[in-house]
Amino acid sequence: MKYRFKIGDSQRAVQIDPPDKERLTQVTVEGQPQPIAVEPLSPGEWAASLPASKVCHLVTASSPEGTWVWADGQAFLVEEPQARRTTRGPGAAPKLAVTPPMPAVVVEVLVAPGQRVERGQALVVVSAMKMEMTLSAPKGGQVRALNTKEGASVSPGEILVEIDYDRQEASHE
Amino acid sequence: MFSKVLVANRGEIAVRILRTLSEMGIASVAVCSPADRGALHLRHADEVALLEGASTADSYLAIDRIVEAALQRGAQAIHPGYGFLSERARFASTVAEAGLTFIGPPAEVIARLGDKITARNLALSCGVPIIPGMTAVEPDLDRLADCATTVGYPILIKAAAGGGGKGMRVVRSPDLLASAAREASSEAAAAFGDGTIYLERFLDRPRHVEFQILADAHGHVIHLFERECSVQRRHQKLIEETPCIALNPDLRRRMGEAAVAVAQAAGYVNAGTVEFLVDPAGAFYFLEVNTRLQVEHPITEATIGLDLVRWQIEIAAGNPLPFSQQQICPRGHAIECRIYAEDPGKGFMPSPGRILAFRPASGPGVRFDSGIYEGCEVGVQYDPILGKLVVWAEDRPAALARMERALTENVVLGVHTTGGFLLEVIHTDAFREGRIHTGFIEEHFPCWQPAARLEQLALAGAAAEKVTPSNRAVGVQAASTEDQISPWHRLGAWDLGR
Repeated sequence: MKYRFKIGDSQRAVQIDPPDKERLTQVTVEGQPQPIAVEPLSPGEWAASLPASKVCHLVTASSPEGTWVWADGQAFLVEEPQARRTTRGPGAAPKLAVTPPMPAVVVEVLVAPGQRVERGQALVVVSAMKMEMTLSAPKGGQVRALNTKEGASVSPGEILVEIDYDRQEASHE
Repeated sequence: MFSKVLVANRGEIAVRILRTLSEMGIASVAVCSPADRGALHLRHADEVALLEGASTADSYLAIDRIVEAALQRGAQAIHPGYGFLSERARFASTVAEAGLTFIGPPAEVIARLGDKITARNLALSCGVPIIPGMTAVEPDLDRLADCATTVGYPILIKAAAGGGGKGMRVVRSPDLLASAAREASSEAAAAFGDGTIYLERFLDRPRHVEFQILADAHGHVIHLFERECSVQRRHQKLIEETPCIALNPDLRRRMGEAAVAVAQAAGYVNAGTVEFLVDPAGAFYFLEVNTRLQVEHPITEATIGLDLVRWQIEIAAGNPLPFSQQQICPRGHAIECRIYAEDPGKGFMPSPGRILAFRPASGPGVRFDSGIYEGCEVGVQYDPILGKLVVWAEDRPAALARMERALTENVVLGVHTTGGFLLEVIHTDAFREGRIHTGFIEEHFPCWQPAARLEQLALAGAAAEKVTPSNRAVGVQAASTEDQISPWHRLGAWDLGR
């Protein structure tokens, strides 16, 4: 089965084949096959080992976004295709959407419908965990609709400000 | 001694204070906002007072309601923890006026030290070096420019009421002074309701070194040695350790004496922290006094062997400190790593969510002070700190090895955390050799991205396959995978506080 590992901004192709007769899972990372034995220890805990390598204690937890895996002091989130769609919220934010990157609370709305905005202009200030962040216009255009207000709880994928972007500028992208 | 104390805080620090109250046989009252009904600190308290109201202003910042809750439940004292109301003079005075004891310094001391200009003058008056610069606020641009020339560029503009980096601007040449001064002033006015500014020399690559002090109500002031807190990003500390390897015995003695002198001159009572900057040449400068228990206090507890919260309570109850400066002998080396719910691969973006798995590190010399449990919700309303991983060992190399083990053991799943990033930081040669300064993270980890080893990826993939064998997982992310283009990505590092 083909998997796509995304580590930060880079991606790597990975092939994972289910356990064979010797109960070894074949994991092929960057063309290098690695047979891995994974044995359950207790619910959510596993002993995994590569050949000729020490046993690694793994912890897993399932979430709507996918499976979290703790390996050697690092947490990884293994996403599943169906989850990827649903976590984006209804209508999965298209390119250039003005949406918060994480759940947050709206602190201030700086624009009104019908208003002309320039590229980089501050639109909405949101706050999460005591950090304030400003969502800015990715391009110049006119505000078509405002879908939020001060004090509202917002999530990634929710489009807070709809903008009719300038055509000409858009064609440069 | 008090028979009941109210803890006006939440999260890991409330848990930490409630534990000491329990050990001292003092009944405790926790407070909680509606969002915190399931919070861990409530489970460590004898009583809970719910502070109704949707916003933090109506709960953990509601001075009158908190004082009223203490009175209603028969508490005689209030511990403010850190953050929230801990450094608000008006809170301390309201508590005192209600006939209760504030576990911290007197209101007038908080007010005096909360103003940076007053604090600078105080330090100057007792012969403690301050960063060269102004000792009064200056609204006039021409005089500001004259002073900048005298002090020498680069200079740093600061807000008198400042904190957390707001109202601060580095200015490297005279032509940029006017606009920076205006920006700093308006930012400070928006953040603190006080736009007054001053300037001082900008120190390049300094260390942030602070001294813990304890002062009883009978005029006895001692220090509990230093904490090195240079590893920060955006003025938020990430790793602290004690002792600081850059201090020789003579410098340490002089800085300790300076810290005690400032505390005495301020009329300080209770636990506090005197912060200094130390330049690469070994000169030190007074920065400010934090009039509260610090987040990083456990490393001092580890090397000194005292429970700082207990001594805060003893001092507040009027008891004298029964030890002298000569009896305070630090032992070994302690390090703290702060575990925040943030995504280091995405510019330390907050990462709220549910904690799905939690296996705190333990074993010899390891302490994890946290406010979380498996299944708890980490919301967007509060500070992103999940916990503080603290290790103690005989010496620095042993402490580093122990921290490495502890970080590897300390399982937190469900939200992104700083754990994996900090593991990488302590692996760097620069950190191991102690070559650190306040710009360390920006210098060594600009735009950091997690770099998982192939082996780790393979293991993670194999485990995920076991959990969801029938699903077609498509990606493993160590940081984040949002590939949509939001305005944030275009802006690069985000704009804090606007």
